[in-house]
Amino acid sequence: MDRLTSLDAFKAFTARLAMDPGRALPVIVISAGTCGRAGGANDLIKMAQRTILEDNLTHRLRLRVTGCHGFCETEPSLLVEPNRTFYPKIQPQDVARVVRAAARREAVGDLLPVDPRSGKPIETQEDLPFYQRQHRSVMARNEKVDPRRITDYLAIGGYGSLIRALEKRDPAWVVGEVKASGLRGRGGAGFPTGRKWEMLAARSADKGKYLICNADEGDPGAYMDRSVLEGNPHSIVEGMLIGAYATGATAGVVYVRNEYPLAIQHLTLALDQAREAGLLGEDILGTGFSFDIRIVKGAGAFVCGEETALIRSVEGEMGEPRQRPPFPVERGIGGRPTAINNVETWANIPLIIQEGGAAYAKTGTASSAGTKIFSLVGKVKNTGLVEVPMGMTIKEIVFDIGDGSRTREKIKAVQTGGPSGGCIPVDQFDLPIDYDSLTKAGSIMGSGGMIVMDEATCMVDLAKYFMTFLKDESCGKCFTCRKGTQRMYEILDDISKGKGTRETLDLLKELAEAVKDTTMCGLGQTAANPVLSTLRYFREEYLAHLEEGRCPAGVCKDLVGAPCQAACPIGTEAWKYVAHIARGEYEEAYRTIREANPFPSVCARVCSHPCEYKCRAGTTGGEAIAIRALKRFITDRIDPSIYKPVRSALPPGMDARIAVIGSGPAGMTAAHYLSLKGYKVTVFEKVSQPGGMLTTGIPSYRMPRETLQKEIACLLDQNVTLRLNTELGKDITLDGLQKEGYKAVFLAMGAHKSKLLNIEGEDLDGVYPALEFLQAFNLRGEKLAKRRVGVIGGGDSAVDAARVALRQPGVESVTILYRRTRQEMPALQHEIDAALEEGVKLVTLVAPVRITTENGKLAGVECIQNRLGDVDRNGRRNPVPIPGSEYAIPLDTLIVTIGDIPDVEYIASMGIAVDQWGTLLVDKGTLLTNKPGVFAGGDVITGPNTVVAAIAAGKKAATMIDRYVRGEPFKQPPTIRLPEVYLAPPEEGEEVQPQEARIALPTIPVTERRVSLKEVELTLGEADARREARRCMRCDLEFTRPPAEQGKNTERTEHPSHGSV
Amino acid sequence: MAKVVVASKALKPFDPAQAAKVIESQTRDHGGLISILEEIQLHYGYLPEGALRLVAEKTGRDLVDVYGVATFYRFFSLKPRGEHQISCCLGTACHVRGGALLAEEFQRQLGVKPGENTPDGKFSLETVACLGACALGPIVVGDGHYYSNVNSSRVKAIIQETLEGLKRKDPAADESLFPLTLHCPHCNHGLLDPDTPVDRQPSVRLLLAHQGRQGFLHLSRLYGSHGHSTQVEVPAGEVTDLYCPHCQALLNAPDDCPACGAARVALLLAGGGVFQVCSRRGCLEQTLDLDGRSF
Repeated sequence: MDRLTSLDAFKAFTARLAMDPGRALPVIVISAGTCGRAGGANDLIKMAQRTILEDNLTHRLRLRVTGCHGFCETEPSLLVEPNRTFYPKIQPQDVARVVRAAARREAVGDLLPVDPRSGKPIETQEDLPFYQRQHRSVMARNEKVDPRRITDYLAIGGYGSLIRALEKRDPAWVVGEVKASGLRGRGGAGFPTGRKWEMLAARSADKGKYLICNADEGDPGAYMDRSVLEGNPHSIVEGMLIGAYATGATAGVVYVRNEYPLAIQHLTLALDQAREAGLLGEDILGTGFSFDIRIVKGAGAFVCGEETALIRSVEGEMGEPRQRPPFPVERGIGGRPTAINNVETWANIPLIIQEGGAAYAKTGTASSAGTKIFSLVGKVKNTGLVEVPMGMTIKEIVFDIGDGSRTREKIKAVQTGGPSGGCIPVDQFDLPIDYDSLTKAGSIMGSGGMIVMDEATCMVDLAKYFMTFLKDESCGKCFTCRKGTQRMYEILDDISKGKGTRETLDLLKELAEAVKDTTMCGLGQTAANPVLSTLRYFREEYLAHLEEGRCPAGVCKDLVGAPCQAACPIGTEAWKYVAHIARGEYEEAYRTIREANPFPSVCARVCSHPCEYKCRAGTTGGEAIAIRALKRFITDRIDPSIYKPVRSALPPGMDARIAVIGSGPAGMTAAHYLSLKGYKVTVFEKVSQPGGMLTTGIPSYRMPRETLQKEIACLLDQNVTLRLNTELGKDITLDGLQKEGYKAVFLAMGAHKSKLLNIEGEDLDGVYPALEFLQAFNLRGEKLAKRRVGVIGGGDSAVDAARVALRQPGVESVTILYRRTRQEMPALQHEIDAALEEGVKLVTLVAPVRITTENGKLAGVECIQNRLGDVDRNGRRNPVPIPGSEYAIPLDTLIVTIGDIPDVEYIASMGIAVDQWGTLLVDKGTLLTNKPGVFAGGDVITGPNTVVAAIAAGKKAATMIDRYVRGEPFKQPPTIRLPEVYLAPPEEGEEVQPQEARIALPTIPVTERRVSLKEVELTLGEADARREARRCMRCDLEFTRPPAEQGKNTERTEHPSHGSV
Repeated sequence: MAKVVVASKALKPFDPAQAAKVIESQTRDHGGLISILEEIQLHYGYLPEGALRLVAEKTGRDLVDVYGVATFYRFFSLKPRGEHQISCCLGTACHVRGGALLAEEFQRQLGVKPGENTPDGKFSLETVACLGACALGPIVVGDGHYYSNVNSSRVKAIIQETLEGLKRKDPAADESLFPLTLHCPHCNHGLLDPDTPVDRQPSVRLLLAHQGRQGFLHLSRLYGSHGHSTQVEVPAGEVTDLYCPHCQALLNAPDDCPACGAARVALLLAGGGVFQVCSRRGCLEQTLDLDGRSF
């Protein structure tokens, strides 16, 4: 474009732009910032151009290639104006349809995003939940301009604020507006921008006076500056021009990091274009005002975020900070006065001048005005750049805009402020975001990184991560920073390996505080924040590493070993038996399984398989290995008798008898392991068959009775006596047992009572607690369900009851009623799937209000519709009833369960402590109740839990009871179990591609399921099992070496590893 | 980044005369020490010892100061880098999504630690603090190409793709390649030449001049293909002059190449619009602007 030589020429030019008839045409907007391009935007651009050329649409629509719009998760995406139709994650082959439809001003229905809650398509970008709560004033302009065209920026009023400032002919007015706006530095420290400008303006300009735009976005995890530079570079140029006019600065520098090539490209272009247009350089628009900007590329040093270090770097020197005062505004570049503001601050300046400082200050809070852009990233569903008014709560950002966790794990904390910031735990998510409240909570605003972390993020690892970064980035000038960050790193590294004691944490804290107090610049003074804030909020996690040798998140490698093994409550070496299967060594596989687990066939069917959730094949983006199905493959094929457990005898003369109450997985496991140690164990069972919940609760189509009985029979050896039909409190008593000579009692009666709704009518005929309904069928074959069956609840017993009901004669329909959505149902996902396949109906977001009757008999249930409301501490949204939405569901049978509880009436009467939820109180470390010699474990202390957790409780009880009887200390050093045995990966040359999908579990046909109690799941074929086993990523190989290489690598030998529990 | 790609493809031996030119040009632009070193690194892919000595001499500084700056910033490398560069992002967002595991997988497969080159000089592996594409982490960059949401099962493929370079697209199969009909912006003469096909299509014929030699350059008319044939051998990285074969006009566009800074050639598109291509051999920068407003 031609050089504009006066303010009038500028106005005439922009007026001409506004008259461009092309502005009325539909526009295809393609977001092509770095994220967009990484996501494939370049292909979308080409496909759009191709369609426009081939269909001759050049005069019917336009194409605008822009920077990032913010919703990076959905890249590559298309936006069509003027309807503002948004198409997320578009494939190149779909572009032509969008373009053709846009030319007709229509939308392509099947490519629209779908609201996950209502299931309805979302018509416009503004209706996306991601955008609804945002207040986008800086970010909104990115989609309006092609950053490579100054005319685009001019067409939306760009440089208009500069004109306004120039026309006022009063630099002090500009400073006044910026002061009035309350704008504080967006780079992190939050110094009032207007005041900084005022100080600069007061300085003499005779030997030069400088402005710097800090675009050295060094905070890992924050990228809003990149997005603004790439997407709207002219807004920075305009901001700096206004700043120069206001302060009398003579030259400007943009200090931008080398890692942002596209930003440098667009900024270079913008500066060239602005100069050519007469908006930058000498005698701008003929007003006599002169100012030019050059780019200085940062060469990568985090410390250059500190302003005195940045200035040294601009001068071409090592970026070491110096003592302040003098502040840069007194002595900056070349000793001349210099003001530094960051990209986002500069981008806000044109907005302030446009609407006026007072109007700007209306957004945000009293102490923190305006909006702030955050990079909402990490474990949240909607990742991207979000711009919100200051003062919004973290909860709103993470759960409303970000839509909560992107995985099964619960959200645990957010990290703000990067390496200088800290973590804020989920129970403080009501904190409003502004400079001061974040500081109070032990973090900082920083440049706006907001990294969401879930239960799979280890806080020790995170602190170690930041300290790795900081020790490398410390410039070394201050001793305490240079050595302090190094030492903090070493301590954290030790903790991540389980080395240290409680005192280590005190040392760490003391060191952190020393670094904070004795260093010169911002880097050192804040370097302790990641340590101090995680210590403050997540001390328990640190202690788990130190005292239990356990990384709760499953991250710290030296404690975790193979994630599958670490995730298993009983420490099953899943990696090992999977490797054996891959090698065709099935007996070894069985021994590996059985070594850890006395109920292998049971767990092969009904285990909740935490191993699969932590399987690295799944957590790194693919699909987890079907570990449970592989276990089933082995247990179905191998005769249990090949496993010969190691037995030991008690010392001569010691003849200890132990009583176990309950023959479920916890009780039988404890009995088994006590028996192996030489104890004589009597197991007392209340009902007529052993197995506890496995027998009374779990239906036979999941757990065939013959298999179950066989497995229990294997555990009834010479030391174990089973007494059926013997109830504690009726047939036997605690005191009686102790008088009979039992040295210890293990209470493992489970939780066999269904918690009810506490609404009227639950005692009617045809209304059954789920466990009662299941027990009647499983033990006595009673078929209680009639015609139309409703099941209230969303847990495993609800799904089991529904599927059992479906298999009973005379049942017409079965409907599960659940108060939240399917996502929140606690039942195993594949069980829900199977129920739906079989024809069970699922109605979600409903709550029963009352049971309706007709002539004193059950008629149905009246329900109220729920919507999902606020997020609770677990990150789940609470259901909120919608008034007036009540409706009736006619039913002939109603099965109710909203959780199971133990029956503790008798035990409580014996003086054993019970908590507020009706479960027994024990010492978590020893399982000891408040009565000497009486231990408890399994569902009776936890409430309804998984089979594998009950087995784990049984194993632990056996260990603790043994220590108790022998008079040994309960507490012993933690066990760290890392893979030890080297198993060569299978050779044969035919390498299996890891991308290969997870094997689908074979089942019997759905038609057969409804009419029989045959086991639904089938066993894997040998070829399938071996193929699936070979998908394993073999995490164990990081810890083991082939025998030939052993001894060469001493790195791992320092870790003591002990045997099993 | 594209600039780095062009410069780092082949390791150049240290040439004092060339380095002196770089130092002079930067000193002229008041670039300061960092800019000088950046230019040298872009040229050689690292900072050769000879260059550091030369910089000290030419700028009148002590060698230790130059060395100090060269080792202070992460961008600079005193070791030659491999032919191909793989960078794993270890920003916080990438870290919490498994970036470190991924970097380990690259280490395992390439057999080198971050900051090292493979023994055959093919690859250098690096970890970077943050590449600013945090929403799509973990991010891996192979020779300037960004891979998003990477998981360890893709590591092998990324190494392979980086080694092979941008995959030569199959013009018959790739939908995103499409033919352009181009004219000279000065004489409006059509430029298609059916007699010398490229990608089995009539080619776009231009006149090329490089260091006193002249001949035709035939470009593929498929946008995005980068296919071409020429009578004049031009070494990679060299800038050429391109003329209209009909009116002999120099075809340079007003704007330089945004990726490498060389002059760009602008051609008119039938149906409206401008197609621009870089005049530097090996630079893949092309733009197609259907509005043609920037021309």
